[in-house]
Amino acid sequence: MKLSFYPGCSLEGMANDYARSISAVFTELEIDLVEIADWTCCGATAAHSLSQSMSVLLPARNLAAAEKMGRDIVSPCAMCFNRLRFSQQMIQKKLFDIPWSVTGDIQVHDMTRFFAEPRMIASIKERVVKPLVGLKVVCYYGCQMVRPPKITGYTDYENPQTLDRIATAVGAEVIDWSYKSTCCGASIGIARRQIGESLAGRILEKAGQAGAQAIVVSCPLCQSNLDILQKDRPEKRIPVFYFTELLRLGFNKITDPQWFKMHFTDPVPLLRAKHFL
Amino acid sequence: MEHHHHPEASAGQPARQPAKERKRIGDRGDFFLNRIQGEAGVNISACYQCERCTNACPVSHYMDIKPHQVMRYIQLGWREELLKSATIWVCLSCEMCTTYCPNEVDVAETINHLRNIAAQSSVAPEYESLAVFHQTFLDVLRTSGRVNEIRLMSAYYSKLNILKEKMKDGSLKDEILVGMSLLRKGRLKLLTPRSRAIKELQKAHHRISGEMD
Ligand code: SF4
Ligand code: SF4
Repeated sequence: MKLSFYPGCSLEGMANDYARSISAVFTELEIDLVEIADWTCCGATAAHSLSQSMSVLLPARNLAAAEKMGRDIVSPCAMCFNRLRFSQQMIQKKLFDIPWSVTGDIQVHDMTRFFAEPRMIASIKERVVKPLVGLKVVCYYGCQMVRPPKITGYTDYENPQTLDRIATAVGAEVIDWSYKSTCCGASIGIARRQIGESLAGRILEKAGQAGAQAIVVSCPLCQSNLDILQKDRPEKRIPVFYFTELLRLGFNKITDPQWFKMHFTDPVPLLRAKHFL
Repeated sequence: MEHHHHPEASAGQPARQPAKERKRIGDRGDFFLNRIQGEAGVNISACYQCERCTNACPVSHYMDIKPHQVMRYIQLGWREELLKSATIWVCLSCEMCTTYCPNEVDVAETINHLRNIAAQSSVAPEYESLAVFHQTFLDVLRTSGRVNEIRLMSAYYSKLNILKEKMKDGSLKDEILVGMSLLRKGRLKLLTPRSRAIKELQKAHHRISGEMD
Protein backbone atom coordinates (compact mmCIF):
# COMPACT_ATOMS: atom_id res chain seq x y z
CA MET A 1 0.00 0.00 0.00
CA LYS A 2 1.36 3.40 -0.91
CA LEU A 3 0.79 6.11 1.63
CA SER A 4 0.95 9.83 1.79
CA PHE A 5 1.22 11.73 5.04
CA TYR A 6 -0.90 14.72 6.00
CA PRO A 7 0.71 16.12 9.15
CA GLY A 8 -1.61 19.04 9.91
CA CYS A 9 -0.70 22.33 11.58
CA SER A 10 -0.37 21.10 15.16
CA LEU A 11 2.51 18.87 14.15
CA GLU A 12 4.52 21.89 13.08
CA GLY A 13 4.05 23.61 16.43
CA MET A 14 2.47 22.34 19.63
CA ALA A 15 3.02 18.71 18.68
CA ASN A 16 6.37 18.85 16.93
CA ASP A 17 7.57 16.08 19.25
CA TYR A 18 4.72 13.91 17.97
CA ALA A 19 5.82 14.69 14.41
CA ARG A 20 9.38 13.65 15.14
CA SER A 21 8.32 10.44 16.86
CA ILE A 22 6.07 9.57 13.93
CA SER A 23 8.69 9.92 11.27
CA ALA A 24 11.14 7.95 13.41
CA VAL A 25 8.63 5.13 13.90
CA PHE A 26 7.89 4.98 10.19
CA THR A 27 11.60 4.74 9.45
CA GLU A 28 12.07 2.11 12.13
CA LEU A 29 9.23 0.05 10.71
CA GLU A 30 10.49 0.66 7.16
CA ILE A 31 7.28 2.09 5.86
CA ASP A 32 7.42 4.38 2.90
CA LEU A 33 5.66 7.62 3.70
CA VAL A 34 5.61 10.75 1.59
CA GLU A 35 4.39 14.05 2.94
CA ILE A 36 1.78 15.74 0.76
CA ALA A 37 3.60 18.59 -0.89
CA ASP A 38 2.22 22.02 -0.09
CA TRP A 39 -0.48 20.67 2.16
CA THR A 40 -2.79 23.26 3.65
CA CYS A 41 -4.73 23.49 6.92
CA CYS A 42 -7.89 21.35 7.12
CA GLY A 43 -9.82 24.30 8.59
CA ALA A 44 -10.46 22.43 11.84
CA THR A 45 -13.36 23.56 14.03
CA ALA A 46 -13.12 27.13 12.78
CA ALA A 47 -14.03 26.47 9.15
CA HIS A 48 -16.65 23.94 10.20
CA SER A 49 -18.24 26.41 12.60
CA LEU A 50 -18.28 29.41 10.33
CA SER A 51 -18.62 28.22 6.78
CA GLN A 52 -19.79 24.93 5.38
CA SER A 53 -18.21 25.58 2.01
CA MET A 54 -14.78 26.34 3.52
CA SER A 55 -15.02 23.17 5.58
CA VAL A 56 -15.36 21.16 2.39
CA LEU A 57 -12.95 23.20 0.26
CA LEU A 58 -10.00 23.36 2.64
CA PRO A 59 -9.53 19.59 3.03
CA ALA A 60 -10.40 19.05 -0.64
CA ARG A 61 -7.16 20.55 -1.87
CA ASN A 62 -5.19 18.04 0.17
CA LEU A 63 -7.34 15.16 -1.04
CA ALA A 64 -6.71 16.32 -4.60
CA ALA A 65 -2.96 16.47 -4.01
CA ALA A 66 -2.91 12.92 -2.57
CA GLU A 67 -5.01 11.63 -5.44
CA LYS A 68 -2.55 13.10 -7.87
CA MET A 69 0.19 11.13 -6.13
CA GLY A 70 -2.00 8.03 -6.22
CA ARG A 71 -1.51 7.45 -2.51
CA ASP A 72 -3.91 6.88 0.39
CA ILE A 73 -3.66 9.40 3.22
CA VAL A 74 -2.56 8.71 6.78
CA SER A 75 -3.51 11.38 9.25
CA PRO A 76 -2.03 11.50 12.76
CA CYS A 77 -4.48 14.12 14.04
CA ALA A 78 -8.03 13.16 14.94
CA MET A 79 -9.36 16.55 13.92
CA CYS A 80 -7.70 16.54 10.49
CA PHE A 81 -8.79 12.94 9.96
CA ASN A 82 -12.39 13.82 10.69
CA ARG A 83 -12.35 16.91 8.46
CA LEU A 84 -10.71 15.05 5.58
CA ARG A 85 -13.29 12.27 5.76
CA PHE A 86 -16.14 14.76 6.01
CA SER A 87 -14.96 16.66 2.95
CA GLN A 88 -14.39 13.41 1.10
CA GLN A 89 -18.00 12.35 1.66
CA MET A 90 -19.33 15.70 0.53
CA ILE A 91 -17.19 15.45 -2.60
CA GLN A 92 -18.48 11.94 -3.29
CA LYS A 93 -22.02 13.21 -2.97
CA LYS A 94 -21.10 15.93 -5.48
CA LEU A 95 -22.70 18.61 -3.35
CA PHE A 96 -19.95 21.15 -3.86
CA ASP A 97 -18.25 22.79 -6.72
CA ILE A 98 -14.58 22.04 -6.11
CA PRO A 99 -11.94 23.96 -8.08
CA TRP A 100 -9.50 21.02 -8.05
CA SER A 101 -9.81 17.72 -9.81
CA VAL A 102 -10.80 15.32 -7.06
CA THR A 103 -13.05 12.25 -6.88
CA GLY A 104 -12.79 11.40 -3.19
CA ASP A 105 -11.91 7.81 -4.04
CA ILE A 106 -8.67 7.39 -2.09
CA GLN A 107 -8.69 6.09 1.48
CA VAL A 108 -8.14 8.37 4.47
CA HIS A 109 -6.75 6.38 7.40
CA ASP A 110 -6.35 7.52 10.92
CA MET A 111 -2.88 6.59 12.02
CA THR A 112 -3.91 4.37 14.92
CA ARG A 113 -6.04 2.19 12.70
CA PHE A 114 -3.14 1.85 10.32
CA PHE A 115 -0.82 0.68 13.11
CA ALA A 116 -3.45 -1.60 14.65
CA GLU A 117 -3.73 -3.78 11.52
CA PRO A 118 -2.59 -7.35 12.30
CA ARG A 119 0.32 -7.05 9.88
CA MET A 120 1.57 -3.86 11.55
CA ILE A 121 1.06 -5.25 15.06
CA ALA A 122 3.22 -8.21 14.09
CA SER A 123 5.91 -5.95 12.76
CA ILE A 124 5.77 -3.82 15.93
CA LYS A 125 6.13 -6.91 18.12
CA GLU A 126 9.16 -8.02 16.12
CA ARG A 127 10.95 -4.79 16.92
CA VAL A 128 10.13 -4.43 20.59
CA VAL A 129 13.34 -5.01 22.48
CA LYS A 130 12.34 -3.36 25.75
CA PRO A 131 8.72 -4.31 26.46
CA LEU A 132 6.99 -1.84 28.74
CA VAL A 133 6.07 -4.50 31.26
CA GLY A 134 4.22 -3.23 34.30
CA LEU A 135 3.28 0.12 32.80
CA LYS A 136 -0.42 0.55 33.48
CA VAL A 137 -2.11 2.73 30.92
CA VAL A 138 -5.54 3.75 29.74
CA CYS A 139 -6.06 4.64 26.08
CA TYR A 140 -7.94 7.80 25.29
CA TYR A 141 -9.42 8.26 21.80
CA GLY A 142 -11.43 11.46 22.12
CA CYS A 143 -14.27 12.45 19.80
CA GLN A 144 -13.16 13.24 16.32
CA MET A 145 -11.38 10.01 15.56
CA VAL A 146 -14.40 7.80 16.28
CA ARG A 147 -17.50 9.96 15.91
CA PRO A 148 -19.78 10.24 14.10
CA PRO A 149 -19.36 6.64 12.85
CA LYS A 150 -20.87 7.47 9.47
CA ILE A 151 -17.90 9.78 8.85
CA THR A 152 -15.10 7.99 10.67
CA GLY A 153 -16.03 4.44 9.66
CA TYR A 154 -15.46 3.16 13.20
CA THR A 155 -17.88 0.35 14.08
CA ASP A 156 -16.61 -0.07 17.64
CA TYR A 157 -16.98 3.63 18.41
CA GLU A 158 -18.26 2.94 21.93
CA ASN A 159 -15.25 0.90 22.84
CA PRO A 160 -12.54 1.49 20.25
CA GLN A 161 -9.55 -0.83 20.32
CA THR A 162 -6.83 0.48 18.02
CA LEU A 163 -4.69 2.22 20.65
CA ASP A 164 -5.34 -0.63 23.09
CA ARG A 165 -3.90 -3.12 20.60
CA ILE A 166 -0.86 -0.97 19.91
CA ALA A 167 -0.11 -0.34 23.60
CA THR A 168 -0.53 -4.07 24.30
CA ALA A 169 1.89 -4.87 21.48
CA VAL A 170 4.67 -2.86 23.19
CA GLY A 171 4.03 -4.75 26.39
CA ALA A 172 2.09 -2.17 28.40
CA GLU A 173 -0.74 -3.28 30.64
CA VAL A 174 -3.87 -1.73 29.16
CA ILE A 175 -6.69 -1.04 31.60
CA ASP A 176 -10.25 -0.99 30.36
CA TRP A 177 -12.23 2.12 31.30
CA SER A 178 -15.39 3.96 30.34
CA TYR A 179 -13.98 7.30 29.21
CA LYS A 180 -12.20 6.30 26.02
CA SER A 181 -14.17 8.64 23.83
CA THR A 182 -15.69 11.15 26.23
CA CYS A 183 -15.00 14.66 24.99
CA CYS A 184 -11.99 16.42 26.60
CA GLY A 185 -13.25 19.87 25.61
CA ALA A 186 -10.12 20.91 23.73
CA SER A 187 -12.08 22.75 21.08
CA ILE A 188 -13.61 25.17 23.55
CA GLY A 189 -10.74 25.47 26.02
CA ILE A 190 -9.18 28.64 24.76
CA ALA A 191 -12.35 30.69 24.75
CA ARG A 192 -14.35 29.14 27.60
CA ARG A 193 -11.82 27.81 30.01
CA GLN A 194 -14.21 26.72 32.69
CA ILE A 195 -16.01 24.26 30.42
CA GLY A 196 -12.77 22.90 28.99
CA GLU A 197 -11.24 22.40 32.42
CA SER A 198 -14.24 20.59 33.84
CA LEU A 199 -14.31 18.12 30.94
CA ALA A 200 -10.58 17.47 30.92
CA GLY A 201 -10.53 17.26 34.73
CA ARG A 202 -13.08 14.48 34.71
CA ILE A 203 -11.08 12.39 32.26
CA LEU A 204 -7.90 12.80 34.30
CA GLU A 205 -9.77 11.91 37.46
CA LYS A 206 -11.30 8.78 35.96
CA ALA A 207 -7.99 7.66 34.50
CA GLY A 208 -6.50 7.85 37.98
CA GLN A 209 -9.41 5.98 39.50
CA ALA A 210 -9.05 3.23 36.92
CA GLY A 211 -5.53 2.72 38.25
CA ALA A 212 -3.65 4.06 35.24
CA GLN A 213 -0.14 5.46 35.58
CA ALA A 214 -0.31 7.12 32.19
CA ILE A 215 -2.73 8.02 29.41
CA VAL A 216 -2.03 7.07 25.80
CA VAL A 217 -3.39 9.31 23.04
CA SER A 218 -2.99 9.96 19.36
CA CYS A 219 -4.61 13.36 18.98
CA PRO A 220 -2.39 16.43 19.41
CA LEU A 221 -5.31 18.50 20.70
CA CYS A 222 -6.25 15.94 23.35
CA GLN A 223 -2.60 15.55 24.30
CA SER A 224 -1.97 19.22 24.92
CA ASN A 225 -5.31 19.72 26.61
CA LEU A 226 -4.90 16.81 29.05
CA ASP A 227 -1.18 17.40 29.55
CA ILE A 228 -1.35 21.14 30.23
CA LEU A 229 -4.48 21.26 32.39
CA GLN A 230 -2.89 19.32 35.23
CA LYS A 231 -1.10 22.03 37.10
CA ASP A 232 -3.92 22.37 39.62
CA ARG A 233 -3.71 18.74 40.66
CA PRO A 234 -0.08 18.40 41.75
CA GLU A 235 -0.50 15.21 43.76
CA LYS A 236 -2.44 13.42 41.06
CA ARG A 237 -0.44 14.15 37.96
CA ILE A 238 -0.59 11.58 35.21
CA PRO A 239 1.63 11.74 32.10
CA VAL A 240 0.01 11.78 28.67
CA PHE A 241 1.97 9.95 25.96
CA TYR A 242 1.57 9.84 22.24
CA PHE A 243 1.37 6.19 21.26
CA THR A 244 4.36 6.71 18.99
CA GLU A 245 6.43 7.64 22.04
CA LEU A 246 5.50 4.34 23.65
CA LEU A 247 6.48 2.52 20.46
CA ARG A 248 9.86 4.20 20.41
CA LEU A 249 10.41 3.45 24.10
CA GLY A 250 9.66 -0.19 23.36
CA PHE A 251 12.07 -0.16 20.40
CA ASN A 252 14.64 1.25 22.83
CA LYS A 253 15.04 4.34 20.65
CA ILE A 254 14.37 6.88 23.38
CA THR A 255 17.06 6.76 25.98
CA ASP A 256 17.56 10.45 26.65
CA PRO A 257 15.07 11.95 29.16
CA GLN A 258 15.44 15.21 27.24
CA TRP A 259 13.09 13.74 24.67
CA PHE A 260 10.19 14.37 27.05
CA LYS A 261 11.01 18.00 27.75
CA MET A 262 8.00 19.19 25.78
CA HIS A 263 5.63 17.46 28.18
CA PHE A 264 4.07 19.61 30.87
CA THR A 265 3.37 16.65 33.11
CA ASP A 266 6.83 15.15 33.31
CA PRO A 267 6.82 11.41 32.57
CA VAL A 268 10.50 10.92 33.37
CA PRO A 269 10.12 9.96 37.07
CA LEU A 270 7.58 7.28 36.13
CA LEU A 271 9.74 5.93 33.31
CA ARG A 272 12.81 5.89 35.56
CA ALA A 273 10.94 4.08 38.31
CA LYS A 274 9.98 1.43 35.76
CA HIS A 275 13.56 1.28 34.43
CA PHE A 276 12.49 2.23 30.94
CA LEU A 277 14.95 5.09 30.88
CA MET B 1 -63.72 33.61 27.54
CA GLU B 2 -64.57 33.38 31.22
CA HIS B 3 -61.77 33.33 33.74
CA HIS B 4 -62.01 31.06 36.75
CA HIS B 5 -59.94 31.52 39.81
CA HIS B 6 -57.86 28.58 40.76
CA PRO B 7 -59.33 27.20 44.00
CA GLU B 8 -55.95 27.33 45.76
CA ALA B 9 -55.44 30.94 44.86
CA SER B 10 -58.47 31.98 46.86
CA ALA B 11 -57.28 29.87 49.83
CA GLY B 12 -54.50 32.34 50.62
CA GLN B 13 -51.96 30.80 48.24
CA PRO B 14 -50.16 33.13 45.87
CA ALA B 15 -52.28 33.65 42.83
CA ARG B 16 -51.11 31.66 39.86
CA GLN B 17 -49.35 33.68 37.23
CA PRO B 18 -51.43 34.00 34.13
CA ALA B 19 -50.08 31.52 31.62
CA LYS B 20 -47.47 33.14 29.39
CA GLU B 21 -48.91 33.82 26.05
CA ARG B 22 -48.26 30.68 24.09
CA LYS B 23 -45.72 31.18 21.44
CA ARG B 24 -46.98 30.31 18.02
CA ILE B 25 -45.29 28.56 15.23
CA GLY B 26 -42.88 31.08 13.77
CA ASP B 27 -44.14 33.48 11.14
CA ARG B 28 -42.20 31.66 8.56
CA GLY B 29 -44.17 28.48 9.15
CA ASP B 30 -42.05 25.55 8.13
CA PHE B 31 -39.89 27.66 5.86
CA PHE B 32 -37.08 27.59 8.42
CA LEU B 33 -37.46 23.86 8.97
CA ASN B 34 -37.28 23.21 5.25
CA ARG B 35 -34.35 25.50 4.85
CA ILE B 36 -32.25 23.77 7.52
CA GLN B 37 -33.25 20.33 6.32
CA GLY B 38 -32.24 21.19 2.81
CA GLU B 39 -29.00 22.99 3.59
CA ALA B 40 -27.69 20.74 6.31
CA GLY B 41 -29.11 17.57 4.79
CA VAL B 42 -30.63 16.54 8.11
CA ASN B 43 -34.07 15.03 8.57
CA ILE B 44 -35.18 17.16 11.49
CA SER B 45 -38.83 16.19 11.09
CA ALA B 46 -37.85 12.72 12.25
CA CYS B 47 -37.10 14.01 15.76
CA TYR B 48 -39.67 12.78 18.27
CA GLN B 49 -38.25 14.53 21.33
CA CYS B 50 -36.90 11.49 23.13
CA GLU B 51 -34.09 13.66 24.60
CA ARG B 52 -31.42 11.07 24.03
CA CYS B 53 -29.23 13.70 22.37
CA THR B 54 -29.46 15.98 25.39
CA ASN B 55 -28.72 13.12 27.76
CA ALA B 56 -25.62 12.21 25.78
CA CYS B 57 -24.36 15.79 25.57
CA PRO B 58 -21.42 16.59 27.90
CA VAL B 59 -22.19 20.30 28.00
CA SER B 60 -26.00 20.48 27.93
CA HIS B 61 -25.66 21.88 31.45
CA TYR B 62 -24.17 25.07 29.97
CA MET B 63 -26.77 25.41 27.22
CA ASP B 64 -29.79 27.68 27.33
CA ILE B 65 -31.61 25.68 24.65
CA LYS B 66 -30.91 21.96 25.03
CA PRO B 67 -30.08 19.89 21.94
CA HIS B 68 -33.53 18.23 21.73
CA GLN B 69 -35.14 21.65 22.14
CA VAL B 70 -33.04 22.94 19.27
CA MET B 71 -34.74 20.35 17.08
CA ARG B 72 -38.16 21.41 18.29
CA TYR B 73 -37.40 25.11 17.85
CA ILE B 74 -36.46 24.43 14.25
CA GLN B 75 -39.66 22.50 13.67
CA LEU B 76 -41.52 25.53 15.03
CA GLY B 77 -39.51 28.00 12.99
CA TRP B 78 -38.06 29.90 15.94
CA ARG B 79 -35.02 31.17 14.10
CA GLU B 80 -34.05 34.24 16.12
CA GLU B 81 -34.07 32.43 19.46
CA LEU B 82 -31.69 29.87 18.04
CA LEU B 83 -29.30 32.34 16.46
CA LYS B 84 -29.13 34.31 19.71
CA SER B 85 -28.63 31.24 21.87
CA ALA B 86 -25.54 30.36 23.86
CA THR B 87 -26.07 26.76 22.78
CA ILE B 88 -24.73 27.16 19.27
CA TRP B 89 -21.43 28.45 20.65
CA VAL B 90 -21.21 26.11 23.62
CA CYS B 91 -21.58 22.98 21.48
CA LEU B 92 -18.23 21.20 21.15
CA SER B 93 -19.06 19.24 17.99
CA CYS B 94 -18.27 16.14 19.99
CA GLU B 95 -20.88 14.24 17.98
CA MET B 96 -22.36 12.34 20.93
CA CYS B 97 -25.88 13.50 20.09
CA THR B 98 -25.64 12.46 16.44
CA THR B 99 -24.14 9.11 17.33
CA TYR B 100 -26.91 8.17 19.74
CA CYS B 101 -30.04 9.60 18.11
CA PRO B 102 -32.36 6.65 17.46
CA ASN B 103 -33.72 8.39 14.37
CA GLU B 104 -30.39 9.22 12.80
CA VAL B 105 -31.01 12.92 13.14
CA ASP B 106 -27.64 14.62 12.76
CA VAL B 107 -28.01 16.94 15.72
CA ALA B 108 -24.39 18.08 15.81
CA GLU B 109 -24.39 19.02 12.14
CA THR B 110 -27.66 20.88 12.64
CA ILE B 111 -26.27 22.92 15.52
CA ASN B 112 -23.15 23.54 13.50
CA HIS B 113 -25.25 24.74 10.62
CA LEU B 114 -27.05 27.18 12.92
CA ARG B 115 -23.62 28.45 13.94
CA ASN B 116 -22.81 28.98 10.24
CA ILE B 117 -26.03 30.94 9.78
CA ALA B 118 -25.47 32.99 12.92
CA ALA B 119 -21.93 33.83 11.86
CA GLN B 120 -23.23 35.23 8.60
CA SER B 121 -26.19 37.02 10.15
CA SER B 122 -26.34 40.33 11.95
CA VAL B 123 -27.19 38.65 15.26
CA ALA B 124 -24.49 39.26 17.86
CA PRO B 125 -23.13 35.93 19.07
CA GLU B 126 -23.89 35.11 22.69
CA TYR B 127 -20.34 33.87 23.22
CA GLU B 128 -18.41 36.42 21.28
CA SER B 129 -15.02 35.06 22.26
CA LEU B 130 -15.57 31.78 20.44
CA ALA B 131 -16.87 33.41 17.31
CA VAL B 132 -13.88 35.73 17.34
CA PHE B 133 -11.51 32.84 17.90
CA HIS B 134 -12.83 30.92 14.90
CA GLN B 135 -12.76 34.02 12.74
CA THR B 136 -9.18 34.77 13.75
CA PHE B 137 -8.22 31.19 12.95
CA LEU B 138 -9.59 31.55 9.43
CA ASP B 139 -7.88 34.90 8.96
CA VAL B 140 -4.52 33.40 9.83
CA LEU B 141 -5.24 30.41 7.63
CA ARG B 142 -6.08 32.68 4.74
CA THR B 143 -2.78 34.53 4.92
CA SER B 144 -0.47 31.54 5.19
CA GLY B 145 -2.39 28.40 4.28
CA ARG B 146 -1.43 26.86 7.59
CA VAL B 147 -2.07 27.96 11.14
CA ASN B 148 0.84 28.83 13.34
CA GLU B 149 -0.15 28.90 17.02
CA ILE B 150 1.85 31.99 17.90
CA ARG B 151 0.33 33.96 15.06
CA LEU B 152 -3.11 32.68 15.98
CA MET B 153 -2.84 33.50 19.66
CA SER B 154 -1.29 36.90 19.17
CA ALA B 155 -3.94 37.84 16.63
CA TYR B 156 -6.63 36.57 18.98
CA TYR B 157 -5.39 38.40 22.07
CA SER B 158 -4.91 41.59 20.13
CA LYS B 159 -8.67 41.81 19.63
CA LEU B 160 -9.70 44.49 22.08
CA ASN B 161 -12.80 42.78 23.44
CA ILE B 162 -10.97 39.55 24.04
CA LEU B 163 -8.19 41.29 25.88
CA LYS B 164 -10.67 43.16 28.05
CA GLU B 165 -12.60 40.00 28.86
CA LYS B 166 -9.45 38.07 29.73
CA MET B 167 -8.28 40.89 31.96
CA LYS B 168 -11.62 41.07 33.70
CA ASP B 169 -11.90 37.38 34.52
CA GLY B 170 -8.23 37.22 35.49
CA SER B 171 -7.34 34.53 33.00
CA LEU B 172 -4.89 36.69 31.08
CA LYS B 173 -2.00 36.28 33.48
CA ASP B 174 -2.44 32.52 33.62
CA GLU B 175 -2.56 32.23 29.90
CA ILE B 176 0.53 34.34 29.38
CA LEU B 177 2.36 32.06 31.81
CA VAL B 178 1.21 28.98 29.92
CA GLY B 179 2.26 30.63 26.67
CA MET B 180 5.71 31.31 28.05
CA SER B 181 6.18 27.73 29.21
CA LEU B 182 5.02 26.52 25.82
CA LEU B 183 7.66 28.66 24.21
CA ARG B 184 10.35 27.56 26.64
CA LYS B 185 9.49 23.92 26.09
CA GLY B 186 9.80 24.32 22.36
CA ARG B 187 6.14 23.68 21.70
CA LEU B 188 5.65 26.92 19.81
CA LYS B 189 7.48 27.69 16.63
CA LEU B 190 7.97 31.31 15.73
CA LEU B 191 8.15 30.52 12.08
CA THR B 192 6.46 27.70 10.30
CA PRO B 193 6.50 27.24 6.56
CA ARG B 194 3.79 28.85 4.50
CA SER B 195 2.11 26.53 2.11
CA ARG B 196 2.95 27.33 -1.47
CA ALA B 197 -0.66 26.55 -2.31
CA ILE B 198 -1.86 29.71 -0.62
CA LYS B 199 -2.74 31.49 -3.86
CA GLU B 200 -5.02 28.64 -4.90
CA LEU B 201 -6.77 28.76 -1.55
CA GLN B 202 -7.26 32.50 -1.68
CA LYS B 203 -8.76 32.16 -5.11
CA ALA B 204 -11.16 29.50 -3.91
CA HIS B 205 -12.10 31.65 -0.97
CA HIS B 206 -12.76 34.66 -3.14
CA ARG B 207 -14.97 32.58 -5.31
CA ILE B 208 -17.18 31.28 -2.54
CA SER B 209 -17.47 34.64 -0.88
CA GLY B 210 -18.47 36.20 -4.18
CA GLU B 211 -15.46 38.50 -4.42
CA MET B 212 -13.65 39.19 -7.65
CA ASP B 213 -10.28 37.51 -8.08
S1 SF4 C 1 -32.07 11.96 20.07
FE1 SF4 C 1 -32.91 12.35 18.03
S2 SF4 C 1 -35.10 11.93 18.16
FE2 SF4 C 1 -34.33 12.08 20.27
S3 SF4 C 1 -34.69 14.23 20.81
FE3 SF4 C 1 -32.62 14.11 20.01
S4 SF4 C 1 -32.80 14.56 17.82
FE4 SF4 C 1 -34.84 14.10 18.59
S1 SF4 D 1 -22.08 17.82 19.42
FE1 SF4 D 1 -22.71 19.56 20.67
S2 SF4 D 1 -24.85 19.20 21.15
FE2 SF4 D 1 -24.02 17.28 20.40
S3 SF4 D 1 -23.46 16.18 22.24
FE3 SF4 D 1 -21.63 17.27 21.55
S4 SF4 D 1 -21.65 19.24 22.60
FE4 SF4 D 1 -23.70 18.34 22.81
